[in-house]
Amino acid sequence: MGRRENAIRLTALDEMAERRGLKRGQGLAEARAMFPDLDAIDEDEAADHALLEAIADWCDRYTPLVALDGRDGLFLDITGCAHLFGGEEALIRDILKGLFQMGFDVRAAISPSPGLSWASCRYGRGGVIEEEMAEASLAPLPVNALRLEEKLVTSLSKLGLKRVGDLIHLPRAPLARRFGAQLLFRLDQALGSHEEAISPRRPVVVLSAECRLAEPVQAEEHVLEWTGRIASSLTESLDARGVGGQVFELALFRVDGRVFRITAGASKPLRDPQRIAALFGERLTAVHDDLDAGFGFELLRLNVLQHDVLKTVQNDFTGDGEQQISLADFIDKVSARLGMDCLQVFELRQSHIPERAEMFLPAIAAPSPVPETGGIFKPRADRPLRLLRHPEPVDVFAATVPDGPPQRFRWRRVVHEVFRAEGPERISPEWWVTEKDASERDYFKLENRSGQRFWIFRKGHYGPDKVPPTWHVHGVFA
Amino acid sequence: MANQAAAQERLVALREQIARLEGKTVPALGAALPSAAEFRTEWQRDDTRQTRLPLDIPRIDALLEGGLPLDGITEIRSSRMADAGAASGFALSLAAYIKSRGNAAPVLWVGDVVCAMEAGLPYGAGLKQFGLQPEDFLYASPRKLADALWLAEAALASGALAATIFEIPGNPKHFGLTESRRLSLRAKASGSPLFLLRHGGEEEAGSACFRFLTEPAPALGRRLPDGSMLGGSIGHPVFALTLEKSRNPAPFSFLLEWNPHDRQFSLGDRAAEHTAPRQPKTNPGARFAASSDRPDRKEIMGSVLAYDRAS
Repeated sequence: MGRRENAIRLTALDEMAERRGLKRGQGLAEARAMFPDLDAIDEDEAADHALLEAIADWCDRYTPLVALDGRDGLFLDITGCAHLFGGEEALIRDILKGLFQMGFDVRAAISPSPGLSWASCRYGRGGVIEEEMAEASLAPLPVNALRLEEKLVTSLSKLGLKRVGDLIHLPRAPLARRFGAQLLFRLDQALGSHEEAISPRRPVVVLSAECRLAEPVQAEEHVLEWTGRIASSLTESLDARGVGGQVFELALFRVDGRVFRITAGASKPLRDPQRIAALFGERLTAVHDDLDAGFGFELLRLNVLQHDVLKTVQNDFTGDGEQQISLADFIDKVSARLGMDCLQVFELRQSHIPERAEMFLPAIAAPSPVPETGGIFKPRADRPLRLLRHPEPVDVFAATVPDGPPQRFRWRRVVHEVFRAEGPERISPEWWVTEKDASERDYFKLENRSGQRFWIFRKGHYGPDKVPPTWHVHGVFA
Repeated sequence: MANQAAAQERLVALREQIARLEGKTVPALGAALPSAAEFRTEWQRDDTRQTRLPLDIPRIDALLEGGLPLDGITEIRSSRMADAGAASGFALSLAAYIKSRGNAAPVLWVGDVVCAMEAGLPYGAGLKQFGLQPEDFLYASPRKLADALWLAEAALASGALAATIFEIPGNPKHFGLTESRRLSLRAKASGSPLFLLRHGGEEEAGSACFRFLTEPAPALGRRLPDGSMLGGSIGHPVFALTLEKSRNPAPFSFLLEWNPHDRQFSLGDRAAEHTAPRQPKTNPGARFAASSDRPDRKEIMGSVLAYDRAS
């Protein structure tokens, strides 16, 4: 039961309730009055949706194009897929059998248009409908089967237009004038004269290869072995397009219907099956605990989600190419195992603010070699070897006013006596970026008595009627 | 007499065994022993690639038995986290030195979360001034020590890196002799160096070839074209090193200066400390820091032709 139109109503019924004459949309109070022993359960939309998603995942084995339809339906675009399962009849039987074994009561129909399938599942007998039979099978169905609004259905039935057959042969212009364009649009969709596209849940992959196993595999090494074999069947298609895969997805269909999807990326386009399998080797180790093989995987599919042009380079005699490959291999391996953000490279940015002058990029996503942009700000003064993530405030006991370096300061509870200093280097905030408390900083390179070198800045200025400036450590030199 | 000979033979056999474990030859004994052929083949295999990189300072190279090991671990230790700057600097200068001697592969820095919080992250612009190209620098930040160990091992095994710097805080329990030995064998097999950067740690048994204790040292001034020093300025970084672990009988301390422009080491001298101009004075007046950014103001160019009108 759930709340619909300001009343608690029945939203779904089991077979027993259906047999006793209850209907969807009926008020709960009314139903209770009819059958005091009624057992009503609150609806859980999220759980229903999750279940539908899981079934859709399971259906991925039949076609990559699976779309959700409302709260209780799925569209499968099986164009070009049916012959793999021995024809449409066999396909529909296979789906129904699979779902029945999982405990679902499902209707299914295969027809030339999504609208007709929808109508046939819900109001007809389902099954396979050939193109020439479309009109004949649609005619006896009630007008609800056209996916119309409730109001429209009521007004149609008031006029005695109860079946779709009554509508098909009526003149179109008066119909449109009276009931609006939607009616004819839906009718055309059901008859297949108006193309209707379904929107698949997952993006259509560029390339995909799969392998069905009679004997489900459980062990990780077997999964990997099969991955290698599937990858080698992809090689030819990748070769023909002159590309290599950059992001791969391995979909593992478990016997009980659960689907695991594991994604692995490569820094350079890949074609070599061994290296693709090795990528997933690292990924499987990383997701080890989350991957529950249960009674085994019966279907393995390898998708290429992203690809790029593969430049084949001839090796020179120095074997430099080998090193390039082993570096790419290393980056892929680490990124697959420890995550993309683990291994990073610098990208120098066009900014003179120290913390904005560089950014870390995942090594796997960075263009290689990182292009040297012309306009990189070249600092005139020294920059520290290590930069603190956030400047840390220090207590300065004595400083040369108005704009000299400190003589003594305390950082992390240690007092440092300044021995030598260089500076100041004034770094002003970027005027094109609006910031809250942007103020200019004067940086100094300081050396203390024992030889530690710091990068310290003063924020604000000394003056008679000014807020006293604050001092911060921003980095350390070698 | 016979006893002595037997003892001698036993000693030789033990030495041979140790040498074999360490993967080294015993030059004086190697030729005479029956297993010399075996040794020689091993030696010859290693001989095809360079295993030592001389630092071009004869005194230090002699201490290091020919130079920096390119197929083993060199540990760089600092006794306090506050000295992280000096220790990181020395490790990076060694990496930059290796890179400048004809190795185009990138440098990997395996960072640590604690060290990053305490001492900050490597800074691209700073690395550039230090003699390392930021494009050739990979920074890894694994979450756990186990991941870091795996990463370091994978890096060594790949052989695609000029140097790997492995940063650890203190003496973690899970990084012991076994792990160190494992990394050392990996490094030996692939011939790529590992610098173990231990911040604020104690001396610990490990299978590093050498261990340096790094402490900061005052820098010399900036050199002027005429050879003199610019007073009050801070020049090339200087590290105070103590070679704690080596085959030498006693630890040896020295100052090493790194020249980022020439990518060259040179021995520093303590005298720098005393000649530095900024001794505390009895009457400290206004002392100005050496200007590093730009001169005070632009000089007016040209000659004055006419003054502004007074009225």
